[in-house]
Amino acid sequence: MFAVEMKGIKKSFSANYVLKDVNFTVEKGSIHALLGENGAGKSTLMNILGNILHKDDGQILVYGESFDDKKIAFIHQELSLVNDLNIFENLYLGKELKKGFLLDKKTMSHRASEVLGRMGVDINPYTMVSELNPSYKQITEIARALLKEAQVIIMDEPTTSLTEVETELIFNVMRTLRDQGISLIFISHKLNEVLEVCDSYTILRDGEVVATGKVSEELTEKDLSTHMVGEEVNTEGIYKTRELGEVILEIKNMSKEREYKNVNLNLRKGEVLGVTGLLGDGRTELFASVYGANPPYEGKVIIEGKEVKMRGTHTAMTNKIAYVPKNRKENGIIADLNIKENLALSVLSKIQSFGILKNSTLEKLTNDYVKKLDIKAGDTNNLITSLSGGNQQKIVLAKALCSNPSVVILDNPTQGVDVGAKMEIYRQIISLSEQGYSFIILSNEVPELQRTCDRVYVMFQGEIRQEFNREEMTEENIMLISTGGKL
Amino acid sequence: MKNFNYKQFLIENSAFVTFVLLLIIATAIMGTTFFNITNFVNILFNNTIVGIIALGATIIIISGGIDLSVGSATALTGLITIAVINATGSIALGVMAAFAAGIFMGLFNGVLISYFRIPAFIVTLGAMQIFRSLSLHYWNGGGIILGRAGGTVLDIDVLGFRDFSNTRLFTSELLPNGLPLPVFYWIALTILLAVFCKKTALGRHIYAIGSNERAANLSAVKVKQVKVFVYMIAGGLMAFAALVEASRLGSMNSATSGTLYELQAIAAVVIGGTAMSGGRGRPIGTFFGTLTLGVINNLMNLMGLPSFLVGAIQGSIVIIAVLFQMSVSKMQKQF
Repeated sequence: MFAVEMKGIKKSFSANYVLKDVNFTVEKGSIHALLGENGAGKSTLMNILGNILHKDDGQILVYGESFDDKKIAFIHQELSLVNDLNIFENLYLGKELKKGFLLDKKTMSHRASEVLGRMGVDINPYTMVSELNPSYKQITEIARALLKEAQVIIMDEPTTSLTEVETELIFNVMRTLRDQGISLIFISHKLNEVLEVCDSYTILRDGEVVATGKVSEELTEKDLSTHMVGEEVNTEGIYKTRELGEVILEIKNMSKEREYKNVNLNLRKGEVLGVTGLLGDGRTELFASVYGANPPYEGKVIIEGKEVKMRGTHTAMTNKIAYVPKNRKENGIIADLNIKENLALSVLSKIQSFGILKNSTLEKLTNDYVKKLDIKAGDTNNLITSLSGGNQQKIVLAKALCSNPSVVILDNPTQGVDVGAKMEIYRQIISLSEQGYSFIILSNEVPELQRTCDRVYVMFQGEIRQEFNREEMTEENIMLISTGGKL
Repeated sequence: MKNFNYKQFLIENSAFVTFVLLLIIATAIMGTTFFNITNFVNILFNNTIVGIIALGATIIIISGGIDLSVGSATALTGLITIAVINATGSIALGVMAAFAAGIFMGLFNGVLISYFRIPAFIVTLGAMQIFRSLSLHYWNGGGIILGRAGGTVLDIDVLGFRDFSNTRLFTSELLPNGLPLPVFYWIALTILLAVFCKKTALGRHIYAIGSNERAANLSAVKVKQVKVFVYMIAGGLMAFAALVEASRLGSMNSATSGTLYELQAIAAVVIGGTAMSGGRGRPIGTFFGTLTLGVINNLMNLMGLPSFLVGAIQGSIVIIAVLFQMSVSKMQKQF
């Protein structure tokens, strides 16, 4: 009997099919890896299993019976713990045990210790969550799942912000639980970890299962990654060797408390530079500062040989730096403005005559970029929210480009974009760099960096640890440095 | 040419549609006692002051803010205007003082909200009390009359100031009382502000900030400056309304002038279809929102209903308007 059996699951958002007839099974008492590139449909599938989203079609069985979300616990990447409460208060949050009118702290802490003990972890349940390191926070989340007597625990990239030692601790807990008959679904991008801890795997690509099987001695990371990327996507010929120009942007000794320290780097005209690392590496904060969106900072930003104090985003624009932030919905688009206005937002004040916006100029600008970036936009007077995610992302990219920058900082530029649109965005980046634009790409997807970048800096806990050229930027090298290791 | 989407039309013009429905209902109840041109002119004239103030409130709310101080500010500005005219004998100086005071009060609110990051609700709540208290203190809880000091008539010729509000145009058989000038001010300012909102970069930036301030900042929009500017424009509009009030009555009172204008203005903005969360709304909607409140008031008067109940009906309409908006934004999400 399977712990989880999902059959013929279908799901679409407006016109986009995210899951097309997916079959997914997890054996009882096993650790099952769910793999796939961003946008492959992993989160959607798990959100359906976790009863956060509803399926359009298909059948779900849990322990051979009809779907019951009480048996399933979903531990999200963003943990949902309250830092200012202690461990057992977090475990019993919302379902506190009481003795009369008062909390029954004794029983709660006792049971919390029992659950933690079951995982082979010895920690005082009175410890405040704010004092726990990331791995113990994960463990607290798992304990909460056990307390509600979940039989299936979904863990969404639990190890992204953990050190090797902490990761090992989590793996031991996972193995202990498996041996007690609990099933775990492990979502991860780290293939070496999958081979180390998982019993079986399922790989999704573009909403379909492309491979599933047991983890055996013969299975290699390469086997898995080939399935994840897929062969039909033509990744060849995106990167081109180019003549690079003078240094256009330099960062000297930049530091900001708790975010990044002592960063030095440079960028040449026409260059595509990658910056990568794990969650908490400080790259987003660093480049938000470079763009003037995260003042104040220590150190210097030098543009074409002159220091510029980045106090606000407008300073960055006048110094020809543009920025595509991560999290398009929160930081990128203005949902109440139409496509044209979103695209031209940074330069609206430059397309006025006698104080009134020139609609003809606005149209022309929009149509130029719609053509240039191959945006499927229809009527550009519609709200930006009428577009698909990939096309919205292209509008945000166009917004950055139309301020006529010489340096474009892209933070997670292909988030939520399907594979085809991704490749197009990569091609655009290379073709624009041939025209003299310089790019800085912040990403944790190594294939993305390999397809576009001339050089890559790897960050770990706020510091640049290593610089790689194209030959050296392998998945292994980058993973090693970004988890704090040394070559 | 696309098909005419009547659902979309109803959603976008809800304020206008509500207003027309109300007109039909009012006419059905009161017939020509309500539906005659003199009554319409009265409704327009009686709501001009709140109408102009509500225009300022519209852009503030679109930008994601709120202004509770505008009623007190109207009183203080009107008092200053008449005091300056009485002291100098110059109407021009009085008008300049009004705009200076109004724009300065906007600057005060705007800087505290934008640069000191204090919530708009708190800043303008404080400012409401500050402006009212200053008025009460300087005018000793009493009022001021144009061209007079205490009981004595001043030896200056300033009564021309009253023409600013009381001049009537197009007097004819059909319109025995003509159209008062302030009605034209109101309509002109509505059109000007509508063009500003729709057709200028600054106008679009206001919507961008109200809809998603982070994204606007990351798009190099000068968020702080734009916010301060919004409160300054609203301050200028408030000063215009204060001039209309001071001129219309020829007097201002530190205790009673301008009371509850801020709430009436916000009510008009909400009924006009502007989202309290910012990012969406139109000055033309506010124009009809103000008129909707005016027609309700007028209708209840004509029907002889107790005037103390006007507020209850107006308050209910505001709540219904917000309920309607919420269901609309749910509908739009489903598209």
